Amino acid sequence: MRISASEKWFQTFNYIILTLAASTMIFPFLHLLAVSFSSPVAADSKEVFLWPVGFTLGTWEHILQNSGLWQSFGVTIYVTVVGTFFSMILSVLTAYPLSRQEFLIRKQVMLFIVITMIFNAPLIPFFLTVRELGMMNSLWSLIIPGAISTYNMIIIRTFFQGLPKELDDSAKIDGCNEFRVLFQIYLPLSKPVLATIGLFYAVGYWNIFQRAVLFLRNQELWPLQMKLRAYLTSPEELAQVNLFLGDYDFNTTTLKAATIIFATVPILLVYPYLQKYFVKGSMLGSLKE
Amino acid sequence: MLKRNLKAVTLMLLALVLLIAGCGNSSNNGSQQQNNQSTNTGSSTNGGDKQEDYVTIRVFKSHMGVGTIPDRDNPHVQYVAQETGVIYDLVTVPPGSEASEFINLMLASDDVPDILRPIGGVEQTLIQQGGAVALDDLLPQYAPHVWESIPQEAWDVVRSASDDGKIYYIPKVYLIPERAALLRKDWLEAVNMDLPTTTEEYKEMLRAFRDQDPNGNGKADELPTTGREAGKWMDHLFAMFGVAMWEGVPEWDIYEGEIQYAGITKNMRAAIEFIRELYEEKLLDNETFLNKGDVWTAKINNNLVGSWYHLPANLRDRYTAMLQTAPDAYVIGMPLPKAEGFEGYITQKSMGEPEWIIPKSSEDKAPYALKLLDFFYNPEYFEFGRFGIEGMHHEVVDGKKVPLPPEDNRPLALGMRNLTTQEDMDLRIEQTFPEEMQQMVKDIFEVSTADARRIAGDGLPSTVYTGFPDIQSHKMFQEYLTKIVIGEWPIEKFDEFVERWYASGGAEVTKRVQEWYAKMTNK
Amino acid sequence: MQTINPLIRNIKRHWMLYLMILPGIIFYIIFKYIPLAGSVIAFQNYQILKGIMNSPWVWFDNFKYIFMYQDFYNVLRNTAIIATYKLIFQFPAPIILALLFNEVRLMFAKRTLQSLFYLPHFLSWVIVGGIVFEVLSSQGVVNTIRSWMGFEPILYMQQERYFRGIVILSGIWKEIGWGTIVYLAAIAGINPSLYEAAVMDGANRWKQTLYITLPGIFPTILVLFLLNIGNFLELGFEQIYNLLTPMTYSVGDIIETYVYRAGILQGQFSVTTAIGIFQSVIGFVLLWIFNRLANKTGEGLW
Repeated sequence: MRISASEKWFQTFNYIILTLAASTMIFPFLHLLAVSFSSPVAADSKEVFLWPVGFTLGTWEHILQNSGLWQSFGVTIYVTVVGTFFSMILSVLTAYPLSRQEFLIRKQVMLFIVITMIFNAPLIPFFLTVRELGMMNSLWSLIIPGAISTYNMIIIRTFFQGLPKELDDSAKIDGCNEFRVLFQIYLPLSKPVLATIGLFYAVGYWNIFQRAVLFLRNQELWPLQMKLRAYLTSPEELAQVNLFLGDYDFNTTTLKAATIIFATVPILLVYPYLQKYFVKGSMLGSLKE
Repeated sequence: MLKRNLKAVTLMLLALVLLIAGCGNSSNNGSQQQNNQSTNTGSSTNGGDKQEDYVTIRVFKSHMGVGTIPDRDNPHVQYVAQETGVIYDLVTVPPGSEASEFINLMLASDDVPDILRPIGGVEQTLIQQGGAVALDDLLPQYAPHVWESIPQEAWDVVRSASDDGKIYYIPKVYLIPERAALLRKDWLEAVNMDLPTTTEEYKEMLRAFRDQDPNGNGKADELPTTGREAGKWMDHLFAMFGVAMWEGVPEWDIYEGEIQYAGITKNMRAAIEFIRELYEEKLLDNETFLNKGDVWTAKINNNLVGSWYHLPANLRDRYTAMLQTAPDAYVIGMPLPKAEGFEGYITQKSMGEPEWIIPKSSEDKAPYALKLLDFFYNPEYFEFGRFGIEGMHHEVVDGKKVPLPPEDNRPLALGMRNLTTQEDMDLRIEQTFPEEMQQMVKDIFEVSTADARRIAGDGLPSTVYTGFPDIQSHKMFQEYLTKIVIGEWPIEKFDEFVERWYASGGAEVTKRVQEWYAKMTNK
Repeated sequence: MQTINPLIRNIKRHWMLYLMILPGIIFYIIFKYIPLAGSVIAFQNYQILKGIMNSPWVWFDNFKYIFMYQDFYNVLRNTAIIATYKLIFQFPAPIILALLFNEVRLMFAKRTLQSLFYLPHFLSWVIVGGIVFEVLSSQGVVNTIRSWMGFEPILYMQQERYFRGIVILSGIWKEIGWGTIVYLAAIAGINPSLYEAAVMDGANRWKQTLYITLPGIFPTILVLFLLNIGNFLELGFEQIYNLLTPMTYSVGDIIETYVYRAGILQGQFSVTTAIGIFQSVIGFVLLWIFNRLANKTGEGLW
């Protein structure tokens, strides 16, 4: 296939623009990385740009030797894995009937659900509800009250709706019931959307903060983001005490930077792993022509 | 086919089971964790002699920084318990999250602590809804050190904050000025000038800073004076004109015989005009209203600023940074230059801000809560309160006790005393500053103390603003201040501001403040 | 009884569907509708210590208070304008980017670029706000470039006329990468044989994009549009709060920042809930309208 000249121009142009834009996206992270390896004085004086000034491992040593941080890391992983699993099951089970013509009250249920997306309950009643269900100080308080994100669920439903009707017909010929259609036909074809929504849920659970603050009094259950916010509080907000009195090779600024990196990098690594599901033609061969 | 069906149904049942298990499990945990309001006696296995008689008091204190919550076996808790008979159970907000939201939720869910440090005006909520314990009789009896070390003036302010004139909280007391106008002495020497005594001389000095390269790096990068976003931390410029300012927001003081909002006074108008001139001549950092906290700190640390306003007690890290590139750096307190026709002063708020309050639901435990509080106000235990347990909160270096830095897995130590006197500050300086810097800081305090004055509005209860959130947030003031200073609006717009402020609730709030003040001064 | 019969028949015939959706329904009832009942505090003068049951009822007083707030229309106007800008500019941006990604041939480049583009999504607005201030400061990148061209520096963050533009641009920068993910998934779901047929008919990439890709992801675009419009007046507090200065209040103060002052500072839970209801009602009305339109061209949410 011949590529026209204008298409070549476009390709080059496209590459340039995208690369330029992409590099702006990574600058803040490179900066934070550099700060985390810099000396406290340099960090506070804003001398650091993309490369460490006054290179030191002190900040990272302090962070990585902190057993509490690893504990919360483990908590976050647990919550993310269990939560994503749980949410995906619930969301798929809810989305599927809503995508089927045979489900008579489809539209009414959709309206029922969409209303909850627009009208939000105030904090206090939500808190009291979860508390009454006995979920205080339990990791379940992070998972169950937010198990279904309407946004995510509707995207799954839309995707299901987009699957060709011929699949239904061939399924009916084979005498499948609804469960089989869902598990044997729909799901294998839905890899892109499942990967996407799985990622969305995973990121949501990974970053969970507000619910954790409200419901987890036991510090051993604190997820990563809660531990990290502690470092992000500016010293002026704390009681007027000079925090670091000796000559440490880290301070609040460098710790801040390192903790952001520590909290973000793991979840960043998930997407590249999922990219293989975003391949075209996942539906090839599904239909018997 | 049956297998597939089973698989699906199993998955669904699994989901349901997980759901129920989650609820079930946590309700077990929940009941174990739930601390009732009734007296909880300690049952620790650590073999103390009077363990069973100890009373547990739940203390809520926010902004405690990183660290673990100490449990009842913690040596710090145990020591306090031995001396007072009270085991403290610390409840705090996870650092970095919204404290007032947290405490409000606690109150809404009947999970009320036995004594708490109020945030976000929650003390007024408690007082007005009848949820606070009156402490007038209990204090002298159970917390004599608290009662006596806090000046009567302060107690009067506290009384005025409630409708029935009773004492409903213990106030924070800060008897020396927290903030000061700071100046770089080495810069002053570099431009060969004396301390400015008038606002005109101050301007001259700033011009010299701007033009004569006092930081000696060959670049005209000096910012003679600077502040932070929304006009914060440029109080010194307002102070010269006798405007009561606290971190960028106007306070209430006596103007023309009555207590008024400093924001609408003639003093304020003159101050804004002055600041506007500074801005125009680039004597005031033109990005002062855009400086976020870290940017402002960096500018000071990088030897770009000659005159600023901040807490001398926090000077240590900044000064260390300055010394890196300017080994001759030296900071002094700047006596306020005089503005023609006005009496300048540094605003001091020393008493009246609520520190501890006891909710009505814990009324029967109030004596114990007060005993706990009194422990920290008792001079016998000051050292313990300051340093805590060796190895856990401090270490001994060359025979001197040095506090250990806060760490994630280090237990927090409760401190309940918020009363700072001259001696306290001196002590604090000696402990937190290296020898070489101590005199510098003490000198600064001397200068600022001479200029400081306690404003009439010290201790004003936040209820005067109820129903007028924009007056309380000083939104209009900030808008007019910034726009006039940067030159977008002429100074005449200030008069419009005064009119609008009164019309949008300022008049009502002023009335309430004047009523409060009358009540207070008639005691 | 006429209306019940078809329902019962449907349940009998497709009982599996009903079983599947049951946990979800229970979830929504317990964790959404029950707490939602707590919204009644908007019609009360909610007193924390008394609880919902014992707080006095003031009916529409809170709403009256909101509408009489002298800056209310200003705040509402700012919110609506910024929301409209977001819809016009920030909503289509990820779509365009997804289409551009689609044109990248090298697998390796495509994946790397995608992974880089979504990085800013993970930064909080506290950080991104700081970045914006620094980039636009007198020493920042933009003014440095301008000085090369001989211009005086402009302090952008102090000027009203730039504020909304900065909000939109920074919002796009932060979220565009993340926003493409859904669209990329949708593109992946398009039948490749459609492309093959088009190529054989001599269509170039542009025509393919126009006649195959876009229509292929149209249902996704429509759904996301509807999901967005339901929250039209809810711009989110973080971004604006971290970009706002007193000099830009008049164009940037939105409902959420007002609620912050009234809520956090004054503990006015009833008022803030009332405002929330107001926002939701507007959003719902808009959603209703657009949903009906959507049902005509494709499929709406219900």
